Amino acid sequence: MRHFIIVGILVIVMAILTYVGLDVAGIATQMHPIAASLQSVSIDWLWNREIIAISFLFALIIVPMTYSLIVFRRRKGETGDGEHFEGNTTLEITWTVLPLFAVLAFAYMGAYSLGEINRVDPDALVIKVKAQQFTWTFEYPEYEIVSKELHLPVDQQVVLKMESGDVIHSFWVPEFRVKQDVVPGRVTEYRITPTLVGDYKVRCAELCGASHYSMENLVIVNTQADYDAWIAEQRAIAAASQTPEGRGQLLTVKNGCIGCHSVDGSKLVGPSWQGIDGSTRDFADGTSAIADDAYIIESIRNPQAREVTGFSPSSMPPYTLTDEEIANIIAYIKTLK
Amino acid sequence: MSHRLDKFSAFRQGLVIFVYLAVLTALEYFVAVTFKAVSILVVVAVIKVALVMYYYMHIYKLNEESDAEPHSYSFKTGTNRLGLWLFLLSDSFVFAGLLTARVNLLGLTRPHLNQILGLAVTAVLLSSSFFMNRGETAMVHGDKKGFIRNTIITFVLGLGFLLGVVAVEWPLAAEEGLTAGSGAAGAVFYMMTGMHAFHVFTGLILLLVVLYKTRKDKYSAEKHWGVEAAAVYWHFVDLVWIIFYPALYLIGTAL
Amino acid sequence: MKNVSPVVRGWLFFAIGFIVAYSIGIGLVFVASGSLVYSHLVTWILASFAGATAYSWGASGFSQLTKGLVWLGLGALAGFALGLVVELVVQGSLNWVAPIASLFALLFGFTGFFLGVAGNNAVSKGLISQISGTLIGAIFVTVIRVLMGLEWKGPFIFTEPAWVLGAFFGVLFFLAGNGSVSDWFKWARGIDTPEHHEEHYSGWEKYLNVSLDHKVIGVQYTITALLLISIGGLFALVFRTELAASQLQFLTTDMKLFGQNGPQLYNTFMSLHGMIMIVSILLGVAGIMNYVVPLLLGAQDMAFPRLNAFSFWLAVPAAVLLLMSLILGGFDTGWTGYPPLSAKAPLGIQMFFLGVFTAGWSSILGALNIIATVIRMRSKGMIAMRMPIFVWAAVATSIISLTATQLIGLSFQLVMFQRLFGMGFFDPAKGGNPVLFQHLFWFYSHPAVYVFVLPGLGVISELLPVFARKPLFGYRWVAMSSLGIALVGFVVWAHHMFTSGMNEYLRLPFMYSTLLVAIPTGVKFFSWVATLWKGKIVFPTPMLFVLGAIVVFLLGGLTGPPNATVSVDLHLHDTYFIVGHFHDTIFGGFVFPFFAALYYWFPKATGRRMNETLGKIHFWLMTPSFFILTFGMMRIGLLGMRRRIADYDPGLGFDATHLVLTIAGYLIGLSVLIFIYNFFNSIKNGDKAEGNVWNSRSPEWQVPSPMPMHNYDQPFEVVGEPYDYGLPGSQYVEFAAPAKSKHN
Repeated sequence: MRHFIIVGILVIVMAILTYVGLDVAGIATQMHPIAASLQSVSIDWLWNREIIAISFLFALIIVPMTYSLIVFRRRKGETGDGEHFEGNTTLEITWTVLPLFAVLAFAYMGAYSLGEINRVDPDALVIKVKAQQFTWTFEYPEYEIVSKELHLPVDQQVVLKMESGDVIHSFWVPEFRVKQDVVPGRVTEYRITPTLVGDYKVRCAELCGASHYSMENLVIVNTQADYDAWIAEQRAIAAASQTPEGRGQLLTVKNGCIGCHSVDGSKLVGPSWQGIDGSTRDFADGTSAIADDAYIIESIRNPQAREVTGFSPSSMPPYTLTDEEIANIIAYIKTLK
Repeated sequence: MSHRLDKFSAFRQGLVIFVYLAVLTALEYFVAVTFKAVSILVVVAVIKVALVMYYYMHIYKLNEESDAEPHSYSFKTGTNRLGLWLFLLSDSFVFAGLLTARVNLLGLTRPHLNQILGLAVTAVLLSSSFFMNRGETAMVHGDKKGFIRNTIITFVLGLGFLLGVVAVEWPLAAEEGLTAGSGAAGAVFYMMTGMHAFHVFTGLILLLVVLYKTRKDKYSAEKHWGVEAAAVYWHFVDLVWIIFYPALYLIGTAL
Repeated sequence: MKNVSPVVRGWLFFAIGFIVAYSIGIGLVFVASGSLVYSHLVTWILASFAGATAYSWGASGFSQLTKGLVWLGLGALAGFALGLVVELVVQGSLNWVAPIASLFALLFGFTGFFLGVAGNNAVSKGLISQISGTLIGAIFVTVIRVLMGLEWKGPFIFTEPAWVLGAFFGVLFFLAGNGSVSDWFKWARGIDTPEHHEEHYSGWEKYLNVSLDHKVIGVQYTITALLLISIGGLFALVFRTELAASQLQFLTTDMKLFGQNGPQLYNTFMSLHGMIMIVSILLGVAGIMNYVVPLLLGAQDMAFPRLNAFSFWLAVPAAVLLLMSLILGGFDTGWTGYPPLSAKAPLGIQMFFLGVFTAGWSSILGALNIIATVIRMRSKGMIAMRMPIFVWAAVATSIISLTATQLIGLSFQLVMFQRLFGMGFFDPAKGGNPVLFQHLFWFYSHPAVYVFVLPGLGVISELLPVFARKPLFGYRWVAMSSLGIALVGFVVWAHHMFTSGMNEYLRLPFMYSTLLVAIPTGVKFFSWVATLWKGKIVFPTPMLFVLGAIVVFLLGGLTGPPNATVSVDLHLHDTYFIVGHFHDTIFGGFVFPFFAALYYWFPKATGRRMNETLGKIHFWLMTPSFFILTFGMMRIGLLGMRRRIADYDPGLGFDATHLVLTIAGYLIGLSVLIFIYNFFNSIKNGDKAEGNVWNSRSPEWQVPSPMPMHNYDQPFEVVGEPYDYGLPGSQYVEFAAPAKSKHN
C-alpha cells in the first residue's frame, strides 16, 4: 500500500510539473504563434484541454515506471525473480473503461470545437483565391481587383473560394490556425474571421513541387478604414491600367507569371523579364536567339521548346492565352527596361 | 481425402449450381434493363458469390482436419489451401480498390458498352467455371481422361472470354470513343477489365501447367493439390467477374 | 611495416588513398568544369571511398572485403565511362553530369562489389540479370516505338514507357536470374525437388545465396534493413544539413546533380528518406518475425520456405529501383506521391512506384507466410492463449500487410497508368478525382504505421517479463489489444485528410474512430507498467532499449490525439509537429524495439553477444539526441514550420533550433555507426554466449546457441504459461525424449 500512496502523490506532482513546464514553454494555454482569428479561440481551448490530459497521462505512466525501475531493481547480489502475479481483470477493465470515457469526452469537445470554427456568417466577404506553382493570387469580385497580397478587414468573416490551376496546395496562415487544401478541379472554402490587425503570411502547406518552400504571400489584416483605403487605391490602379501595358501587367499577376519571373532582374525559378526584350538568349544546346515577339509567344505557348541556360523549362506549364492577351503581355514586358 | 458425394451426385450438384448461376445472371440482366434496382443487383451478386465460394471453391475445406504428421501430403495440402485462400483474400483487395474507384468516379453512371457482348462473355466465363468444376470432380474420382477433357473445354472457354474482352470488346469500345485516355469512364473500364483479364491470363497458364502435369502422370485421386489450386483460382477469377459484370454493364445509366 | 598494428596501418593507407583520390577528383572536376573547385561532392565521395578501400587493404590485407571495394570502384568507373559513351552516342554531346552515367556507375558498382566479395552468388547474378533485363525491356519498347514512328529518345536516353517496362523486366530478370524461383519452374515442368534443402554454402556466403532456411532469410532481411536504414539516414543527414540555417546553402538553385537542381534534389532526398525508411522498417520487421516466429512456435521452418525466400529476394530489386529513382530525375512529391503532382513529376517517380510496388509484394507474401505458419505450424499444446506474445503481434501485423498493402500498390499503379496511357483517374480535366487517390493511398498507409509498430510493441511485451523477472501483466489483454489496434487501424485512414477537401461529414466519424485507438494502446502501456511493478528488474542493453521504446512511444502516443481532433489538426497538419510526432511513434514502436531485439537475439544467431559497453554508449547517445530532435521539431511545428520545405523564412527565427536539430541528427547517426561497428565486430570477436544468456523461459533459449540447422532436434510440448517468472517449478515447454528420431 505504501508504494501506491507514494506513487499516487508523485503522479499528481509530476502531472502538475509537466503542465507548468509546458506552460512556461508557452504551449499549454494556447498554441503558437499568436492567435489572430476568431476560429483559433475554440482550437486553442481544445488544445489546452488536450495538454492537461497529456500532462496527466504522461505522469500516470512515467511515474510508476520510473518508481519501479528504482525501487524494484535487482540489487547487487540478489538472485531470484519478482513477485508472481499474472494480471487483474478488475484493473484491466478499469483502464479500458476509464479511457473510454476520456475518449468520449474528447470526441464531444472535438465535435464542439469543429462546430465553432465552421460557424457561417451569411454576410461574409467573398474573395476568390487562385493557387498555382508557386504563388497565390487573390481576386476581389465585388471590386474587380486582383492582388498578390491578401488584405482583410478585421473582425469580419471572410470566405475564401479557392481554386488550383495545377496541383494540390494548402492555404495556411499559422496565426489563423485553420488550414484547407486547394484541390484542382473543385472549389474549396476557407472561412476565417481575423481578429488582430497585423502582417502575416499565407504559407502553402501541401508539397507542391520544387519551389514549394517559397510559396508564401503577404496577408494583411487592416482596420476597416485602412482596408477601405486600400480597396480604393487598388480600384484606382485598376482603372488606370486600361492600356495594353496595364492589362498586360494585370494578366501577369492573374496568371501567376510573376511568381517565377521577376521584373527587377533578380533570379527566380524562371528568367527575369527586365531587359529581356531584344536581348540575346543562350540555350542549353549551345544555340542562341534574339528575344523578339515570336520568341516570347513561343515561350508562353510552348515553354519546353527551348531551354535557356541555367533554367529548367519543365517548371513552366504551357499557357493558353488569346493572341490579344499575349500582345498585352508583350507590351508590358517591353516596358521593363 | 474423404468424398462427401459419389461421382454422379457431385456432377449433378455442379450442374444444379450452374443452373442457379445462369438463372441469377439472367435475372440480373432483366433487372438491369427493366427497373434498374441497384439493391437487387447487389443482392444477386452476393448470392452468386456465395454459391461459387461454397460449391465450386469448397471454402469449407479450410476447416477440414488434416493428418497431424507435418510431412504428410494431407497436412501440406491443408497448409497450401490456407496459403491460397490468404492470397485470394489479399488479391481481392486489389479488385475492391478498383471497385471503390469505379463507385467514386462514376457513381450511378456507367460506360456505354455493348450489352449483348457483355452478356455473352459473362456466359462464356460462367460456363468455363462449370466445366472446371466437372474437371476437378473427375480428378477427385480418379477419372483423368474426364479431367483432361473438361479442363480443355475450360481452357478454350477461358481463352474465348479473354479474346472476347481484349480483342473484341476493347476495339469496339474504342471505336465508340471510349478509350483509356478519354476520361474517367474509359480509365475505369480499361483498368477493371484489364486487371481482370490479366488474372484470366494467369489462370489459363495455370490450367496449361496442370494439364501438362496430368499428362506426365503427376496427379492422382488422392494427391492433386495442383489441380485443386488451379480450379479454385479459376473460380476466383469467375467470382471477380460476377461482381465486375454488374458494376460495369448493369448498374446505373449509361453515359 | 610488419610490426605496425593493423589499425595503424589501415589509417596510414586511408590517408594515402584519400589524398591521392582527392587530387584525382579535383583534377577530374577541373577537366569537366574548367575551374578549380576544392570541395566538390564528387571529389569527397571519390576520396572517402578510396580511403575506405585503402583502410581495408591496410588493415586486413587483400581480403574479400577489400576485393569487393576495389571491384565496386572499378565497376562504378566502368559504368560511368560506359554511360558517358552512351550519352555521347545518343545525344551527340559529352555531358559529365549525365544521369545515365551515374546510373550505370551505381548499378555496375553494386554488382562489382558482390562479384568481388564472393564471385558468382545470388546477389551478383541477380543484379547482372536486373541490369540486362532493364536494358532488354527498354530497348524492346524503343524498337517498337521506332517501328511505329514514335519519338524514341527521352531526357534519360530512353522514353518513359521504355524505362517502366525495362524496370519491370529488371525485377523479373533478377528473380529468374538469381535462382529464387527455379524450384517453382521445376514443379511446373513436373520435376520434383528434394523436400529438405541442405545448405550448399557454409559460413557467411550462405547469406549471399538463395537459402530456404528461415533463420538465414531472417538474417538476410535484417542486414538488408540495416543497409537501407543507413542509406535512408544518410539522406536525412543531407537535407538536415541544408536545414541547419535558413537560405539555401549547398542545395542551391544553381547546382545540378542527377538532372535536378538543389530544391528538387532536396525534395527527392526527403521523399526517398521517407520511403527507404519505410521499406527498411518492413524488412526489419520481416527479419525479426522470420527469425523468431518459427523458433517461438517450435516449427522447423516457415509454412512456405520457397515463398519466404522469394519474398526476401523481391525486396532487393525493389531497393535498387528506389535508388534508381534518385538518379533518373528524382521526384518531388514526398513519399505520399499525391497526384496531380506525381502525375507531372520527373521519371524518377515511375522507378519509385515500381520499387514500392515490388517491396509491397514482398511484404504481402511475407505476411501470408507468417499467418499460415502461426495457424499450421505450432508445436503440441501451444493453444492460442499460450503463444508467446510476440506471435500475437506478428499475426496482427501480418493481417494488415496481407490485405491493405494491395491498396498502396494499386494507388501507385493507377498514377503510373495515368502517366503512361493518359488514363484520367486523378486528373480533374478528365473527370478524375485527386482526393480518391488519397483515400486509396491512406487505406494502406495509415494501417502501415501499425505494421511498423505492432511487432515492436510485441518485442517490448516479449522482453519486458524476461528483464523484470515477472509474468507479463494481463497476457490476454495485451494479446487482444494488438488485434484491436490492427482492426481499428483499418477504419481511421481519413484522419490524414482532414484538410483535404473530402466530404465534410466524414470528418467526425474518422475523428471518433481515431480517438478509439487510444484505448487498446493504453491497455498496453498500463500492462507494461504493471509488469514492471514489484519485479526484480535488471538492465542489460536490450532492456535499456525496451524502456527507451516505452518512453519514446509514450510521447508519440500522447502527441497523437491532438492530431485526431479535427479542429486542432487543422493547425497541426503538414507541420513539423506531425514530423516530430510520427518520428516518436516510429522510433518508439520500431527503432528502439528493433535494436532491443537485435541485442537480445544476437547471441541466438551467432553464439556470441554484442559488447555491452558499446551498446550502452549507443543507447545513451541516441536517446537524449532523439528527444531533442523530436521536441525541437514539434515546437517549431507549432510555431509555423511547414513539412517538406527546402528552406524556411528567416523571419520566423528558427535558425538556432534547426542548428540544434541538425546536431542532434548527426549524434543519432553517430550512435547508429557505433551500433553497426559493434554488430559486425561482435560476430567474430564478441564474448562467447552459447547458453541461456538472459535466463529466459522461451523455448529458443532452452537449446544451445547458435541455433542448430533444423531448429529443435527434439520437438517440444507446451505444458505451462509462457511468462511464469517467479513461479517455482513452473515450465513453459518440455522437450520430447532425445531417443525419438527427427522425422519418423
